[in-house]
Amino acid sequence: MPTGLHETLGPLGHGLQLTLAMTAIAFTGALVLGVLLAVCRISPVPPLRALGTAYVTVFRNIPLLVLLVLFVFGLPDVGLLFSLFATVTLTMTLYWAAFVCEVLRAGIRTVPLGQAEAARALGLTAGQSIRHIILPQALRSMVQPLANVFIAVALSTSLAAAVGVAEMTGQAQFVTLKYDQPLTSFAATTVVYVLITMTSGLIAGRIERKVAIRR
Amino acid sequence: MKARTRISSVRTLAATALTAALATALTACGSSGNLPAPSGSGSHSPGALSYQQVIDGAPVAPDSAIPAGSLMAKIKARGTLNVGGTDTSALFSLKDPVSGKLTGFDAGLAQMLAKYITGKPNENLVLVTADTRETLLQNGTVDTVLATYTITPARAQKVAFAGPYYSSGDAILVAKGNTDITKVADLANKTVCTESSSTAANDLKQYAPSAHVILFQTNAECEQAVEQGRADAYVLDQALLLGDSVRDPKVKVVGQPFTTEPYGIGVPLNSPEMKTFVNDWLKTIQSDGEWAKLWQATIGTVLSGDAPTPPAIGSAQGS
Repeated sequence: MPTGLHETLGPLGHGLQLTLAMTAIAFTGALVLGVLLAVCRISPVPPLRALGTAYVTVFRNIPLLVLLVLFVFGLPDVGLLFSLFATVTLTMTLYWAAFVCEVLRAGIRTVPLGQAEAARALGLTAGQSIRHIILPQALRSMVQPLANVFIAVALSTSLAAAVGVAEMTGQAQFVTLKYDQPLTSFAATTVVYVLITMTSGLIAGRIERKVAIRR
Repeated sequence: MKARTRISSVRTLAATALTAALATALTACGSSGNLPAPSGSGSHSPGALSYQQVIDGAPVAPDSAIPAGSLMAKIKARGTLNVGGTDTSALFSLKDPVSGKLTGFDAGLAQMLAKYITGKPNENLVLVTADTRETLLQNGTVDTVLATYTITPARAQKVAFAGPYYSSGDAILVAKGNTDITKVADLANKTVCTESSSTAANDLKQYAPSAHVILFQTNAECEQAVEQGRADAYVLDQALLLGDSVRDPKVKVVGQPFTTEPYGIGVPLNSPEMKTFVNDWLKTIQSDGEWAKLWQATIGTVLSGDAPTPPAIGSAQGS
C-alpha cells in the first residue's frame, strides 16, 4: 500500500506507545493487587478470605468489554469523570487482578506444606512466613502462567478502541477511515501484536530458567 | 458496583423502552394492511403513510429487468437480499429489540430493493462496519451495502456505488447548556467524539484539525459522552443528530451542516449490471413518489417540512 505509508505508520506508532503503556501499567497494577488478593484468600482471617473470594467471583465473571463500558459510561454518572486512558487502564487492572490472584493461589498450592510448617516451627508469624517463605516460592513457579496473563492483558488492550481510546487498534480504525485499506492496516497491527506476545513468551522462558525451583 | 449497575440498567431500560415506543409508532399501522394511516401515526404531516405501508406499496421489477446470469437473477433465485448494514442507527436502520424488526430510511430502501428483485421484502442483514464494508462486498458475503455509506473516490476504486440516494452533512451536537460552540471553527482544541464507522472523523481532521477526536462504537455512547462532559461536542450527520436531540432534552444541535455527504448504495465492482439495475430502481421510486413517502415515514418524523429533492443519480464523484 504505497498511498500515505508514512502517514499510516505515524499514528500506528503512537497507538503502539499507548498499547504498551496500558499493558505495562495494567499488568503491574494487576500483579500488585493480585498478590494482595491472593494473600487475602489464603489468610487465616475469614472476612478477608470472603472479600478475596467475592472480588474474584465478581470480576472474573463479567466480560471485560462489559466492564469497560460500565466504567467508562457509568462512573461519570456517579460524579467520577476521569480521562478515558485512566478509566480503561484502571478497569483492566481491576479485571486482570482477579486472574493474577487465581494464578498465584495455584502457585501457593505447589509450595509443600512442610515449608509452612517449618516456617512456623522457626517462630515466624503468619505474615512473615507468607512474605519470606511462601510467596517467593509461589511466584517463582508461576512464571509461565503469569506470562499467559501478561499476553492476555496485552491483547485485551485492543478492546479499549471500543470505548474511544486510540491505542493501536483504535489508530488502525482511524487509518482505515482515511485510506479504506482495512486489510493492510489490520495486518500491520496483527504483526505488532504477535511480536509483543512472542517477545513476552520468550522473556518469560528466560526468567523461568533463571528462577525455577527444582524439586 | 451495585449502584452503578442499577443506573446503567435503568438507562438501558429507558433507551430500550424509547426505541420500542419509536418503532411501535413507526409501525403502528403495520398490521392493518392498506388502510389509510390515521393522522399522527408516527409522522408529522397528516396523511403520511406508516413505514409498513410504504414497504407494502413498493414496486416489483418486471421479469425483463432481471436477465439470466446476472447478480439480480442469483438473488431472485435465493429469495433474499443479503444487505450489509447496521441496527443501531436511529432513523436510518434501527432494530426494535422486542419484535426484531428493522426500521429506518436505509432499512426501508433495503426492504424495498429486496421486494423489487424477489417480490418480497426479505432482507438478510449482515452487520458491517467501516472496516469491513468493502471487503464483504468484494468477497460476495453481501450483495449490497446500505448503511449511510458516503460515496468517496477512494472507496469507488474498490466497490461500485449506485446513487447517491440521499444527501446529508455533518452537524454538531452539544450539551443543552453549552454556548461556546455554535459552528465548526469553535471545535478547535475541543474534545469531539464521533461514531467509529462514520466519515466524520476524517471531516474533523480537515475542518477542525486541532480538535481531539474520540471514536465510540455507537450513537448512544457518543450522545452520553456529550451529556457526561467527557466530550465537548459530537459530530455526525445532521439527520442522525436531530433524532438524538428530539429524544434527549439534555442535548441540542447547533449551526448548519458543514459538509456534504452523498450516500450511495454499494454493489460489487464486478457486477456492473447490478449498479445499472439499482440506479434504474432508484429512478423508479423517486419518480413514483415512494422515495418521498419513505422519507416522510422515517427521517421526516424529526425533520420538519416536505421531503427534499433527492440528489441526481450519478452526481457524486465516484458514483
